[in-house]
Amino acid sequence: MMPGGFMMGAHSRLLPLPVPMRFFAAAMVFHPLAWAMLLAGADAVPGFRGGLGPVLAGLHLVTLGVLAMIAIGAAFQLLPVAIQRPLGPTWACGLAWWLYVPGVALLCAGLATGWVPALHGGAGLSVAGLLLAGLLIARCLIGATGFPGIRHHAWLALASLLGLAVLGLLLAVDFRTGWLPDHTAFAAAHAVLAGYGFMGNLAMGFTYVLVPMFVLGPAIPDAVGKRTGLLAALALALAVCGALAGLGWLAAAGGAVGLGAVGLHFAALRTALAARMRKRLESFFRLLFPAWVLLPVGLAVGIALALGAEPAITAPLWGFLMVFGWLLTFATGILQRVMPFLVSMHTSARGGKPALVSQLTADRPLLLHAVLHGVALLLVALGIIIQSVPMVRAGAAGGLAGALALLAFAVELGCRTRAHLQDNPPFSQGHT
Amino acid sequence: MDIKDKTTGPPAWLALALDTQPLDVRPVLAGGEDPFTLVMGHAEGIGAGQAMVVDAPFNPSPLRKVLAGRGFSSYARKLAEGHWRVFFLHDGAADWERQAEVVVMPEGAFTWDEDDGIHIDVRKLPPPQPMLAVLRLLDGLDGGRAVIVHHERMPHFLLPELAERGWRVARLAEEFANVRLWLERAP
Repeated sequence: MMPGGFMMGAHSRLLPLPVPMRFFAAAMVFHPLAWAMLLAGADAVPGFRGGLGPVLAGLHLVTLGVLAMIAIGAAFQLLPVAIQRPLGPTWACGLAWWLYVPGVALLCAGLATGWVPALHGGAGLSVAGLLLAGLLIARCLIGATGFPGIRHHAWLALASLLGLAVLGLLLAVDFRTGWLPDHTAFAAAHAVLAGYGFMGNLAMGFTYVLVPMFVLGPAIPDAVGKRTGLLAALALALAVCGALAGLGWLAAAGGAVGLGAVGLHFAALRTALAARMRKRLESFFRLLFPAWVLLPVGLAVGIALALGAEPAITAPLWGFLMVFGWLLTFATGILQRVMPFLVSMHTSARGGKPALVSQLTADRPLLLHAVLHGVALLLVALGIIIQSVPMVRAGAAGGLAGALALLAFAVELGCRTRAHLQDNPPFSQGHT
Repeated sequence: MDIKDKTTGPPAWLALALDTQPLDVRPVLAGGEDPFTLVMGHAEGIGAGQAMVVDAPFNPSPLRKVLAGRGFSSYARKLAEGHWRVFFLHDGAADWERQAEVVVMPEGAFTWDEDDGIHIDVRKLPPPQPMLAVLRLLDGLDGGRAVIVHHERMPHFLLPELAERGWRVARLAEEFANVRLWLERAP
């Protein structure tokens, strides 16, 4: 066995570390840009119901640039290891990055400025990158036998990805042609599929793998994953049909079923957390707990919106709570734990002295990010409710500062990784 | 964890089993299949006072415990690297515990003691139970003994936790659905 490949042989499911890290690095860059866009368009946030401009660009910088980016990077590395199935060639993973990252940048530039060639070109590239990533993940899932609960959520996420991509392309074209019968209804269905369908199901599925592993708790029973997957599918079908058909009560029923799925999800997590071996919860839980609170709160606001309650407030508040409140908080919490974990896993697998997660993690910027992110969520949500632009602006500025703190953490992680690799070259270990 | 050291010699009944044709399960394991059903089916045909011999790539202590429950005493001998011969005598398991003392952990993993260290078999356990079992064993260990993990996959997610605890994978044997890792404290 050659040095540098101690556990990275033919049976290994480990991709080269730069493959997932490139996606995480892009997410770290898009994250402050998203808050900056929200800051630039703060005056349009209260009462926001859609339309081109910095707010829509900021929203997509989070959903596509941060959330989906993290999801793809994590899925590429963690899914093949967890379910013991090959993902696909490394070049295809690289191609997905090269299609997706410039695509997101171009699309968001188009959304911010209204420049149609950027909008269409960016949408095309983004969808191509997403679909390639989806194909690779689907290839990994086909034939897998373990983790049935997680696979249900993963398949649901991929089906949602297909739906949201089609709706997203229609919406992008509609900005110029205006041929859709109801742009807002299609945008609502697109948002449900993107937030709850694609990202939500990936978040649930990853939670079933990662949370028990990080807290050293018992596995979430497969039956729970199957039940939450079934309820989530029903909730999505009802909510999307309700949004497209303009039937608020149907969309609200979808939200209620979604709350049921969330309840089951939380009950299972509570059991796993209660029986954990690692008694002291790590710092990333200061983001996970608020994210879990904001998930049902956002759903409740969404139900109120579907039932027609104060759309000028509930529409932007629902979108903000779902995307920035729940998903962004959850994803950045998971990311700050996964990045040093992957570095440690790779340095262990290549032989030589492994890098320790505890030594790779700079806690001060993480604490700063958590505080600023929390303040930002509070101020922007309040600004939307009381229609206060200065409050939204202050919140967005806080979010931007928090995102820069998280970027500083990522840069520090990179520096510590490089220093570790220079000081501890891999050596050949026994392999028979 | 209470795992006793044993330095006992071969049992007196071994002579009864030496001429028995071995059942070699190594090709079955190499083919990615679990030979448990094959061995148990073979054991069904062994009458009282008769012997059975199994060739395996490692000392199959969990199997020996299961067969002890069916009345088989056992004795294992290492013939070469990756080749163990286990002798079974259907005698009511009067002598079953010989070098087959197995402890079942809360996660369902088997642990037993051998000359080269403490073995833990976490195969067939759903994730993350294998990781929990290994870490629970390591957390309860004193001294410098090695731990040999019998796994069915490369436990990549375990590696950062090992590193945090000051353990490392010193050696690795990897076959299809049969991975063994020799863990030792990092220098």
